[in-house]
Amino acid sequence: MKRRSAVALAVVLALAGCNANPDQKPAAGGSNAGTEKGGSLTILNAASDINFDPAKSQNLAITTLGLVLRRLTTWDVQPGKPAQVVPDLATDTGKTTDGGKTWTFTLKDGLTYADGAAITAGDVKYGIERSFAPELSGGLGYHKSLLVGGTEYKGPYSGADLASVETPDARTIVFHLKTAYGDWPWIVSMPAFAPVPKAKDDPKKYNQNPVASGPYQVQSYQQGVAVKLTRNPNWDAATDPVRTAGPDQITFQLGQDTTVQSQRLIADSGDDRSAFGAGFVAPAQLAQIEQNASAKQRLVTSDAGALSYLALNTQRGPLKDVKVRQAIQYAVDKRAYQVASGGAIGGELASTLITPGIAGRVDYNLYPADPSGDVDKARQLLGEAGQTSLNLTLLSENDQPNLAKAQAIQQGLQRVGITVTIKPVDEDAWTAEVTGEKGDYDLTVSSWQPDFPSANGNIQPLFASSEIGRGGYNIARYSQPEVDTLIAQATAETDPAKAQALWAQADKRILQDAPIVPLTYTKNSFLHGSKVQNFYVPSFPAYPNYLKVSLKQG
Amino acid sequence: MSTDTHLAPPAPTRPGGQTRRRGARHLWHQLAADRWAAAGAGGVALFLIVAAAAPALCALAGQDPYTYDLDALSDSGAPKGFGGGISGEHWFGVEPMTGRDLFAIVVHGARTSILVGAGATAASLLLGVAVGLTAGFYGGWYDRVVTRIIDVLLGFPYLIFVIALGAIAPTSLPKPLLLVGVLAIFGWPSIARVVRSQTLALKQRTFVVASVALGAGGWNLLVRQLLPNLTATIIVYATITIPSMIGAEAALSFLGVGVPPPTPAWGRSIGDAIGWVQTDPMFLVFPGGALFFATLAFNLLGDGLRDAFDPKTRGVRR
Repeated sequence: MKRRSAVALAVVLALAGCNANPDQKPAAGGSNAGTEKGGSLTILNAASDINFDPAKSQNLAITTLGLVLRRLTTWDVQPGKPAQVVPDLATDTGKTTDGGKTWTFTLKDGLTYADGAAITAGDVKYGIERSFAPELSGGLGYHKSLLVGGTEYKGPYSGADLASVETPDARTIVFHLKTAYGDWPWIVSMPAFAPVPKAKDDPKKYNQNPVASGPYQVQSYQQGVAVKLTRNPNWDAATDPVRTAGPDQITFQLGQDTTVQSQRLIADSGDDRSAFGAGFVAPAQLAQIEQNASAKQRLVTSDAGALSYLALNTQRGPLKDVKVRQAIQYAVDKRAYQVASGGAIGGELASTLITPGIAGRVDYNLYPADPSGDVDKARQLLGEAGQTSLNLTLLSENDQPNLAKAQAIQQGLQRVGITVTIKPVDEDAWTAEVTGEKGDYDLTVSSWQPDFPSANGNIQPLFASSEIGRGGYNIARYSQPEVDTLIAQATAETDPAKAQALWAQADKRILQDAPIVPLTYTKNSFLHGSKVQNFYVPSFPAYPNYLKVSLKQG
Repeated sequence: MSTDTHLAPPAPTRPGGQTRRRGARHLWHQLAADRWAAAGAGGVALFLIVAAAAPALCALAGQDPYTYDLDALSDSGAPKGFGGGISGEHWFGVEPMTGRDLFAIVVHGARTSILVGAGATAASLLLGVAVGLTAGFYGGWYDRVVTRIIDVLLGFPYLIFVIALGAIAPTSLPKPLLLVGVLAIFGWPSIARVVRSQTLALKQRTFVVASVALGAGGWNLLVRQLLPNLTATIIVYATITIPSMIGAEAALSFLGVGVPPPTPAWGRSIGDAIGWVQTDPMFLVFPGGALFFATLAFNLLGDGLRDAFDPKTRGVRR
């Protein structure tokens, strides 16, 4: 439900993206070799803090928290294959008898925490309940609106429990949903579905030292400096087919600016040979790596994935007019935008809402034009709308990559007589502004990576009228009853083929109204040290799979 | 009091005026003889001309700082060709990822820097001299209050303040005006302090005491007796303040709280160039060099002026 599922991954400047280049790694020196055990892996991280509290985390299943916390299900991502949802704590990916409204999961036998205590279904239920607590908000919250009674529930600290999550015995957990929801097995792979023992829960401290169920536990936590993970002696590899747990120790070095990360990894000396960067490699460094044969071999770029787009605030002045919004579709200089985000290695030009790699995507282009735009057509449409000169405000995050993109948009619109004023604000202010009630902006540039690989994740969070304001990411403030109906239909549809057709229909219907301009399908690039093996960026999501990374020994 | 004013004998001011005129000629000779100061003056003149004639210069090159030239860039967004894309078309090469002409950006950046630098200096001088002069002259509780305010402002972490202010200031407020205002607010206290101490010393001098004895009023004393004798200090201080203001403006732009893009600013270009220093060093060299030479020129001129005005260093050859 958030724009960036990997914020906790510390990709602070970065915009999310999806889909990998699976063929790249085997060619780049056989880093898909068998897992060698041992060694100390370093992960360079730009954030000053890692929030290990499962209720507050927006981590993907395959990154930081996945090393420490297991969930009911998790993702199996392999080079060249689409991401699969696979059982983790549960024995299967869930059973439903009534077409997706009630889901039952059974826990595996003999699961224990790092302290030796048994993992029970009650702990999973408690973990879910605490994610509803207002003091623990901010995590991925798809389940909150799906579970019966979820919208009213205020967490376990007030004494109440959530009746729609049942635990008939210590190994069984049953979920009752408001509507049929076919993607529920993906939802239970999110951090909130990690077990939390009630006796060990302290909402103020749990973010630094959670009770580990995965192969690693937090050994030390120094805010702004480093987080050290060591092996969890009670983790049993036999119950966990997904995590390979290669390194003996994993250290997150915090506060490492993405430029610093890249320079350290390009140099590839000392301990940095056993390191990789969690942040995207910036365009300037991509150009530098291009000229460095050794570093070029260690660069992994994903396939085109997440959608980056220009949102047009459909509730503001001249932008209320669909003709004006369509004119902007033609006026935008997508090529300049692409170059500003790193050229061909930064992304491919986009024309649809559903991103490549998502099942059921139909490729089409409602506004065909040269990559640099169609100035005459845009002028003509503006003329039809009776607008000759427009003044619009573009809200941008105040950092170099975002300002570069904002300026690329600005110069494109300038060509048709639309004067754009860039308003740079810091990241928190940007989020507050675009997801808040007021919506005091005309344009903004954003990008969206679905939190699970379904067209639902592409469309519902960005275009359902329920997602305007109150923390929702419908930042074009687009409200169209016809589209809302389509979304509701597609969500309730349990036949995947029919659902996909409905999503494709919604995709086109929305773009007819032109609430956003699709700009590029972004590509993410990551760099790793020469001793790092099994480092690949899967087809979904476009982040490295932390769970399988290992180090070459000797 | 006004009746007293014209009763005061004009005699003391006339010789003063002549001395000043003689002083100006003398000053000019002093400056011309000081090679470094002359070079500084030349540099300052050059930058002023460039800033004033920025659009004309760009027209000469056939460029402007806003137009993208994606054909000058390689596929990865880095400039094609030698030295960051230096060619007959792009004299300083182009900006990576946009292909905008770097010569036009640097030349227009001079406008931003000098406009903000000079504006902030003028505003802080006006405020600083007015406050310093009156505080030194009148003394008493007014002086004590002013001195405390100066202490507080000098100890204030102004960078943090400016960053915070940038976040809350409305977009309708022009950013250059905001910058000038903020830099002036934190620039005047040091000027006021110097002017106040000079005023305190001058106040005891015989010509001031004599004027007071002859019944000169406050305004007359401030403007006709004290201010002319502070001119040298003020001029020297101004020439030294301008480069520090230009530097401060660049620092703010570097931190992303200066003038908003796409208005060219040296500080922002330098900030952008840091990531490119390994692949396209010229992107850093041109705006960085411009900032360096501009501040150097103003500092040399300021040093030269101080030497020329200061009787203690007069005649000392460097």
